[in-house]
Amino acid sequence: MERAVLLLSLLSLGVSSQPITDGQRLFSIAVSRVQHLHLLAQRLFSDFESSLQTEEQRQLNKIFLQDFCNSDYIISPIDKHETQRSSVLKLLSISYRLVESWEFPSRSLSGGSAPRNQISPKLSELKTGILLLIKASEDGAELFPDSSALQLPPYGNYYQSLSADESLRRTYELLACFKKDMHKVETYLTVAKCRLSPEANCTL
Amino acid sequence: MKKAVELVLLLLLLFFTPHIMGKRYSPPGKPTLTRCRSPEKETFTCWWEPGSDGGLPTTHALYYRKESSERVYECPDYHTAGENSCFFNKNDTSIWVNYNITVVATNTLGSAFSDPVDVDVVYIVKPNPPEKQTVTIMEDKGWPFLRVSWEPPQKADTRSGWITLIYELRVKLEEENEWEMHLAGHQKTFNIFSLRSGGKYLVEVRCKPDHGFWSEWSSTSYIKVPDYFHREKSVWILLTIFSAFIFLILTWLLHMNSRSLKNCILPPVPGPKIKGFDNQLLKNGKSDEIFSALMVSNFPPTTSSNYEDLLVEYLEVYVPVEQELMQEESKDLHGGCLKCERSTSDSDSGRGSCDSHTLLMDKCGETKEEGRHTDRASSRMLTEAQRHQKGWEKDTLTYAHGDMVSPDMSNGRVKTWPSVFSPLPQYSSNPLDKQSSLEMAKQHCLSTSSCLTQPGHSTKEALGPSNWDFCLGNKQPHLLHPQTQVGRQLQAHSEVNISNIGRKQAPAGLQSPALRSTEYVEVQRVNEEDLVLLQPVVSGCGRIEGYPQMPKGKDYSKVKGVDSDNMLLLQREVMEEDWWTGNCYTSSTVNTTQKPTACIHTAMPVQGDMALAMNGYVDTATMCTLPTC
Repeated sequence: MERAVLLLSLLSLGVSSQPITDGQRLFSIAVSRVQHLHLLAQRLFSDFESSLQTEEQRQLNKIFLQDFCNSDYIISPIDKHETQRSSVLKLLSISYRLVESWEFPSRSLSGGSAPRNQISPKLSELKTGILLLIKASEDGAELFPDSSALQLPPYGNYYQSLSADESLRRTYELLACFKKDMHKVETYLTVAKCRLSPEANCTL
Repeated sequence: MKKAVELVLLLLLLFFTPHIMGKRYSPPGKPTLTRCRSPEKETFTCWWEPGSDGGLPTTHALYYRKESSERVYECPDYHTAGENSCFFNKNDTSIWVNYNITVVATNTLGSAFSDPVDVDVVYIVKPNPPEKQTVTIMEDKGWPFLRVSWEPPQKADTRSGWITLIYELRVKLEEENEWEMHLAGHQKTFNIFSLRSGGKYLVEVRCKPDHGFWSEWSSTSYIKVPDYFHREKSVWILLTIFSAFIFLILTWLLHMNSRSLKNCILPPVPGPKIKGFDNQLLKNGKSDEIFSALMVSNFPPTTSSNYEDLLVEYLEVYVPVEQELMQEESKDLHGGCLKCERSTSDSDSGRGSCDSHTLLMDKCGETKEEGRHTDRASSRMLTEAQRHQKGWEKDTLTYAHGDMVSPDMSNGRVKTWPSVFSPLPQYSSNPLDKQSSLEMAKQHCLSTSSCLTQPGHSTKEALGPSNWDFCLGNKQPHLLHPQTQVGRQLQAHSEVNISNIGRKQAPAGLQSPALRSTEYVEVQRVNEEDLVLLQPVVSGCGRIEGYPQMPKGKDYSKVKGVDSDNMLLLQREVMEEDWWTGNCYTSSTVNTTQKPTACIHTAMPVQGDMALAMNGYVDTATMCTLPTC
């Protein structure tokens, strides 16, 4: 259903003479998708945490502070000031990279439950949507080669080389990092959207 | 040396002074971080709760560490947010970064560390309440509604999309206790409909970021709704007039149909119509006179020619075997008859004839039988009787001992009352209102439900005549035997055609129940021993001949009761032999003797309500199995 909408918007993008409106629509779609992903991530994380025992929870909290998220290398604004200083394009590219960095590892998130299985394809769709947005924006042509030239290290092995003992810890890290990154993308996309549509009060 | 002594003294003083004062100092208790909140996702504040101070002045310090860094920072601002708090301003706040925060309480004796708390600013956002809330009344086609509008809190930066808020508002009337909640989503206005006219409303709003906590409720706004339902009174007036109008119409209708309604609700009670019975005498209360008046000169009939005059009427009387009932029946014939007789303006005799298909319980059992005429109406009456009996189902079911009586199977004993018991000619000449006679018959049967019941036995053989028992007054003691004794079953047939004296129509009347293929016995005569000689209609041994063999379709058994599974428990009856005379009954009597004890039929599943059409007597023809006791 959402794919159909995306395709339709693509078509309309090519045909319509009002790219801004289409961009707004694309943005809305992207924002809603990432919101959904963030909610999924939150739910997964809370489910995982609730399945843990208290002692394990405390230990994991400590561990988490020491470890890094796989997406830490991606420099992203970490407060409002920085975010507002960044251009829309920069925000979009960062979002794109964040989403892309999770495309592969999210498959290890997939357990058996249905929501988990949907994460990876949804990320792919989101990535496509963000790419469209990048293309639709004015400076897209400049940035595009950058994104393609970006070679992301393979993460799969990073998370797959898990021993049995560490699997719990790794799962915790995965879920926590995923949640955080999704929230980042959501924020960036929302800010970018609001910046593009100054007439709205930007509460939607 | 002196210095050492001074030092020692000083130390002693230090140690003992608190002891003398009665106080003890100790290291501070462990403080706890209660909460951390960020109002706009740009700054945040943490509050802690100090532990015991140990009696000494204690200082608190907050240290934090950002994720993936070992560097420890101290709280930059202890005062902005009040006491026991630490405020992180914009420069010190990083989003999506885990803070590990610890509070330390220190006094001269020691220090205590609180448990560390991990905080990610993104997830601790609790905005301020919405501001600039306004409530106005607007109208929509004459119906007012409230429009509530507000602004997001000032600090929250929703314009740039940094924070997105959803709103919720609640409304209530001033006098109520429960709030009505409305989720407003992202919008900043909301309409409230369905207002009470003249009511005073309170409205409050609050907000929440996408992932965070609900803010506090905003300050209350009061609004009074104007009276718009001014038509209320006029509506009530209209309603009153309308209902009065309807009431008048109904009254008029009732008045017009008062008579028929009266008949419907309060059916007339048939009065006793015993020949020679004087109501006045009864009222006077002199029993001797009453009974003497009932004496008829030609009773009992001694000549056989009288049997032609006998009104062939078939009464089915159900005589239960319980003691209490027997006691009731221990009344003498007349008493019983008196009971049965409730006469109204009808000229019927006390005993109405009931439908032959049902065995109606007759307390008296031995009231007179009536003669009715009118051949034509026989079939009609029969059908009426059938209909009436349906209504008697319930009454008869209350009698626990229902027996199956089938005329064919000679279970039931139909007691036919010879018309000699009453001055028949007088009655027979009267055209009887069929309806009322039926009613009376039924009333008799109903009232005498506790009649002696006769456990019938089912015999497969088709006995020519149905067996009827008489409930003769003199024989009542016999009737009142315990269960071993056969109960009488008086089968009251609502005989439509009561044969007049000498009329051959009587058989026709008897035949009219051929619709339901029952058999009838006609009273031949009463001999000296107070035995009523019956003539079976079908057997041909009686005077009435030419009756076609009644198709065996109907067997009657008394219903003993209904158990939980809707199963009818049928009861067999056993007849005593000594009542039967005549060849016609030998077969039946033989059968009865073979079964001295009453046995209960196997329960048969009730098929709908049709099986219970008769008063407590189930039509075995419709049953699945036949009793094989």
